[in-house]
Amino acid sequence: MDEAAWILVAGWVAAILRSATPLLFVTLGETLSQRVGIINLGIEGEMLAGACFGFAVAATTGSPTLGLLAGGGAGLLLSSVHAGLCVGLGANQFGSGLAVWMIGLGITSFFGRSFVGAQVDAAGSIGGSWLEGMPVLAQLLDNLSWTAPLAFLTIAVAAAMLYRTRPGLAWRTVGEAPDAARAAGLSVARIQVSGVLVAGFLAGLGGAVLSVDYTQTWAQEMTKGRGLVAVGLVIVARWNPWLVPPVVLAFGAAEAAVLRLQAGGLEVSSHLLAILPYVVALAVVIAAYIFSHRDGGMPQGLKGVFAARS
Amino acid sequence: MTGRHIALRGINKRFGALTANDDVDLDIASGACLALLGENGAGKSTLMKVLYGITHADSGTISIDGVQQNFRGPFEAMAAGIGMVFQQFSLAPALTVQENLLLASPTAPWLHVPGSRALTAVLEVLARLAPDIDPRSRVADLAVGERQLIELAKVLNLNARTIILDEPTSVLTPTETKRLYGFIETLVADGAAVIMITHKLADVEACADHTAIMHRGRMVHAGPSADLSRQQMVELMIGTASPATADRPSAPASTTPRVIVRKLAADTETSSVANIDLEVCAGELLGIAGVVGNGQTVLADALVGLHPLRGGDVIVDGHSVAWTPKPRIPDGRVAYVPEQPVHNAVVPDLDLSANLGMRSILQRRFWQFSRQQQDADARALLESADVRPPEPMRKAGTLSGGNLQKLVLGRELAGAPSLIVACYPTMGLDVAATRAVYRNLFEHLDRGAAIIWISEELDDLLDYAHRIAVLHGGRIVGVRDWASASRAEIGDLMLLGALPQCA
Ligand SMILES: Nc1ncnc2c1ncn2[C@@H]1O[C@H](COP(=O)(O)OP(=O)(O)O)[C@@H](O)[C@H]1O
Ligand SMILES: [Mg+2]
Repeated sequence: MDEAAWILVAGWVAAILRSATPLLFVTLGETLSQRVGIINLGIEGEMLAGACFGFAVAATTGSPTLGLLAGGGAGLLLSSVHAGLCVGLGANQFGSGLAVWMIGLGITSFFGRSFVGAQVDAAGSIGGSWLEGMPVLAQLLDNLSWTAPLAFLTIAVAAAMLYRTRPGLAWRTVGEAPDAARAAGLSVARIQVSGVLVAGFLAGLGGAVLSVDYTQTWAQEMTKGRGLVAVGLVIVARWNPWLVPPVVLAFGAAEAAVLRLQAGGLEVSSHLLAILPYVVALAVVIAAYIFSHRDGGMPQGLKGVFAARS
Repeated sequence: MTGRHIALRGINKRFGALTANDDVDLDIASGACLALLGENGAGKSTLMKVLYGITHADSGTISIDGVQQNFRGPFEAMAAGIGMVFQQFSLAPALTVQENLLLASPTAPWLHVPGSRALTAVLEVLARLAPDIDPRSRVADLAVGERQLIELAKVLNLNARTIILDEPTSVLTPTETKRLYGFIETLVADGAAVIMITHKLADVEACADHTAIMHRGRMVHAGPSADLSRQQMVELMIGTASPATADRPSAPASTTPRVIVRKLAADTETSSVANIDLEVCAGELLGIAGVVGNGQTVLADALVGLHPLRGGDVIVDGHSVAWTPKPRIPDGRVAYVPEQPVHNAVVPDLDLSANLGMRSILQRRFWQFSRQQQDADARALLESADVRPPEPMRKAGTLSGGNLQKLVLGRELAGAPSLIVACYPTMGLDVAATRAVYRNLFEHLDRGAAIIWISEELDDLLDYAHRIAVLHGGRIVGVRDWASASRAEIGDLMLLGALPQCA
């Protein structure tokens, strides 16, 4: 391939990375939450809250960094409702998750109205003059802000924490065998709350990356079910943070490819596209069932979610 | 080595209306093994959980060498050198052996660098206990005995000097039990205090220097093991003066078979039985001896019609009771007392009333159901089966093993069945509960039922069964009349599947 083709590819990769960055954060968040045994359907609402309040703060202060932080904070705040309901009161995780989703939807629709059409600055690009003479790399990095590398860094740190440290072992134990964790003297409730709050922060951050950095607009219900896509992608990634980037990027690439095909005249409904992650998730579940590990790596504690508490 | 002395004084613990520990005193000395004896539900585990800080006593004190302790949780007890291996293991099955040990070790490093010195350090004790366990294997893939060793390693990693083992031998094979006795001896020789909760007198004889006996929440005896005879221990444990085990049921009146098993063959993924020919008369108790894992479970399931047959038939009173593709409502001709009743015979999360109503509900049309009726029936059944406590609204999972088995027997045997298949019906039960199970089963023999009793306690079979069939490798390798059966011969059949050839 000649250089022009490579530049084209670099452009595509950059586009895929940019569009996938929010989902990287959100899927990592949901993964961590489920690793401590809490399914969080409210992640959609938390992402919306992050998108809305992150955008509002970025628009008001003019600082995208502050906006992203505020988005994370908003997600964390909303997730504390889920943590309180599920861990504190022992409420049903699905019910609580749906409630959080609806709260996020309602609040952002209400407070977000005044910010429709506002302007924000995107997070700074990681390209620059130092890339002169390297047109392919420049094409890639000029189009990326620091949020994309931050996402990969966060995933690496989270995965290393989970598999290579004592607190990570504690988190995994809580998700796999809460009774064993309790017997080992761990505070299951505290770890589960931490997991849900971290997930909330990451979801809010992902939402803010979407509104502040990627689309640079705020629109009502702008996440369009991406939080729920993340829930499906967690299964595909087999609850393993290391598998989050390949899974999310494959999903992003598929999405981009379909968009190209649509642009090329092929009729593919975006509604059909939206079910793609779930079809893949289903296929993974079936594959996992066929190939020995029947639960596909699902934390054993999650099984309790589907049964009555005694 | 100066021993330390732990004193529990006046421990009281109530669970609602139930008094699990009633003003209990106990002294624990170093360099000795203490057996804590008592029937199921006597309050042994509760007392030790109080010592371990996992349960908090309503009143009473714990002191170590005269210094009063106030453990708020197991971590503080561990810090004081107390470790406990639970009856229900507290391992995370999905994690590896090494991860489980790391989790339990307070000295484990923050950063887990694979292969580092700090990580392998937690494996040292296990390597001595059980060199053949791969630390990278998932606990879920290990045998029960191996899991117990990991629990023990966990406790020893904490440098525990007081080690509590809750019914350690109940899950072990004879070989593993011997090995455990050896470990206990070593620990005691090193100056540790070992407390072994048990209801097996063999455990006491094998390694206990001291014996403490609990009965219904109270400490009824404590002192050197040598002070008590076997007989006296049994009396104290069950609280009555008639420890004579049940009498052998009288010989069957008729010799016409009531139950005929013809060329039965059945398979599961992991085991199979074939060519099973058996005949059982009315009032006859046929024991099936064999080492666990020789096809007992599939045989029992096939006999009662829960598992499809590959060939042959099971005839009771002239009717086939074998599995059919079309589900049918059990007609009460066959009763099944499965192994591990808590998993296989009840729904632990449902109350006793619902658990007891499971059979009768099948006979009713759906509009005929009445909760009042079911509760009344349940109350009557609980009363007659002597289930304690007789509360229909209690969840089945909260009953002790013996009471759960009484409940299952009461329900399954209610309809005067012709064939009773019982799998390890007294496993894990204390003396009194075991006797109640025997008495119940033998009453049905007198009534004319035929019983097939699957057990691995050869002594029990020799004591009670009219005939003993030996199952080995999925075949019946021999049938002996009780009068002509010898322990050694049946043992050979169980282990070898054949008698050693005479030269
Ligand atoms: N957490 C609990 N809640 C209610 N009852 C309990 C609890 N733990 C034990 N019990 C009851 O206390 C009694 C003593 O139990 P336990 O100490 O486990 O007996 P064992 O001597 O067999 O170990 C039993 O009747 C048991 O049902
Ligand atoms: Mg116990």
